[in-house]
Amino acid sequence: MKNKRKMISKRMLLFEFRNVTRNPYVHIFGVGMPVLMMVIITRAVLGEIVDREALLSVKTTIFLGIGAMIPMATIFMGYGVAHAQELEKGIPQRMELFGIGLRVSLCNRIVSEVIFMAIAFIIYFGVGYGVVGVKLPKLSGAVLYMICILAFSVILFCLAHAIAAMLRKFSLTYCVTMILYFGMMILGGMMGISFDSMPPALQAVARLLPVTYINKDFAAIWAGESYNFMPMLQSYLLLGAVAGILLFVTVKRGSRRLH
Amino acid sequence: MLLSIGNLTVKYGGNVALSIREPLEIQEGDRVGVIGSNGAGKTTLIKSILGLVPYQGTIRTELAPDQMAVHMQFNEYTDNMSVGHVMEAILDRDISKDKKLQELIKFFEFQDCLKKKYSKLSGGQKQRFTIIMVMMQEAPLTFYDEITSGLDFETRQKLVEKLVEWYKGKEASFLMVSHYYEELDQLADKLLILDKGQVVDYGRREELFHKYCGRAVITMDNTPGNAALMAGVEKMASPKHLIAVSCGSEEKERELTGLLLGNNVNYKRSNNDIEMLYINAKEARNEK
Repeated sequence: MKNKRKMISKRMLLFEFRNVTRNPYVHIFGVGMPVLMMVIITRAVLGEIVDREALLSVKTTIFLGIGAMIPMATIFMGYGVAHAQELEKGIPQRMELFGIGLRVSLCNRIVSEVIFMAIAFIIYFGVGYGVVGVKLPKLSGAVLYMICILAFSVILFCLAHAIAAMLRKFSLTYCVTMILYFGMMILGGMMGISFDSMPPALQAVARLLPVTYINKDFAAIWAGESYNFMPMLQSYLLLGAVAGILLFVTVKRGSRRLH
Repeated sequence: MLLSIGNLTVKYGGNVALSIREPLEIQEGDRVGVIGSNGAGKTTLIKSILGLVPYQGTIRTELAPDQMAVHMQFNEYTDNMSVGHVMEAILDRDISKDKKLQELIKFFEFQDCLKKKYSKLSGGQKQRFTIIMVMMQEAPLTFYDEITSGLDFETRQKLVEKLVEWYKGKEASFLMVSHYYEELDQLADKLLILDKGQVVDYGRREELFHKYCGRAVITMDNTPGNAALMAGVEKMASPKHLIAVSCGSEEKERELTGLLLGNNVNYKRSNNDIEMLYINAKEARNEK
């Protein structure tokens, strides 16, 4: 193997994409569950709101908020547990000994995860517009939603990698990512308790999570209304910094000592 | 010189797993067999060279990490796809378009396994799968760590035959850890003997044999009759079921074989028996 390996290659992308799609969690929690929850919850509010415009706004808020579950399930949980499983078997080390370093693996994996997530979003939006009926976005709203979801996904990917690398066991990683997944969903207001109904202490924690803003505020951004992005941006920066530090520490700790 | 090790210490917790005091060098073309019982530090040596465990001391090489290939004792791969797809991703080439890879697959009789998942392969097929990819790396230095452990006799034999055939006439160097002396007998020209994390000796096989066993070794079953016959003869360290005698000169060998033939005793003569070399090198070190 005298050729220098490219950072991203067709074969490695295919390899990682196969790894992503063969993980049953991502189909159940990343595609099935968000679609099902979005349909059920929007149906549940049908009878409660009479005004057509208000109903459309509520349905759009629910739709956009639950959409954030897709990266949380496919990337955070899906990649986290899959990577822990691989670490338990020593697969990443075996790959590294074949010259496929962490950077190559991570780059190809994150691109594959994003491709899968995009497919999941296409299905989600298909059901959202075809079955549920949600507001059409302003161009700026659609672009910002894409950017926010993408940035959230990258942060979650780093966090998932770091958690799996720290715990190195499937069972532990599954437990921790599941707790954080449901924790983020509850605090983000996706599990029935809205941000406004939360006690102040919980609100303070919820404010630190990007998912809270995606769930409670994105309908306004979607519609092109003016919005103060600062609190949302701060939540991204904070979570991004935590994920970045954890990733850096785990990568440093696990790296080979080369002569 | 491919690699040099000096004053190396590897600790697991507080325990010293490996300590190499004297400088140890691997030259181009060397085929080093590493022997020692469990816990001798064989795998630790490979892991420290590959930078997989923390160590103190120096390991010098001009080889880049991807110029050192390794077949670890346990190799695992994803089970999310066929091994053919795994192979293509790792080697970054299409099997259908790469003649050399096709030849290797054929050489190791792996064609029918390409569509299987890794967990569905037999032990021998799993080993051959990694060997094919390791050989495709064309590394100047390759490490084989107990690649035949857990395989039945026939599969083991076949795999070693394939390796012997593959390396015939090639310049590549390797370091092979094995508990099976007959494998090293076929593959190694140098031996590194480890015991309890210490180097017992390192050198060319014939030199080490001469040092610890003399010109040749005669072994026979340890029966009461043979023991009585050999009562006055100085014996070497040997497995309990054998009596072993070192022959320092041709004359002594003739004398001994004459005695054995005269008494109709079955015996075996060797001038390269790795097991006897290993046992007596360890014995000599213990006596020190």
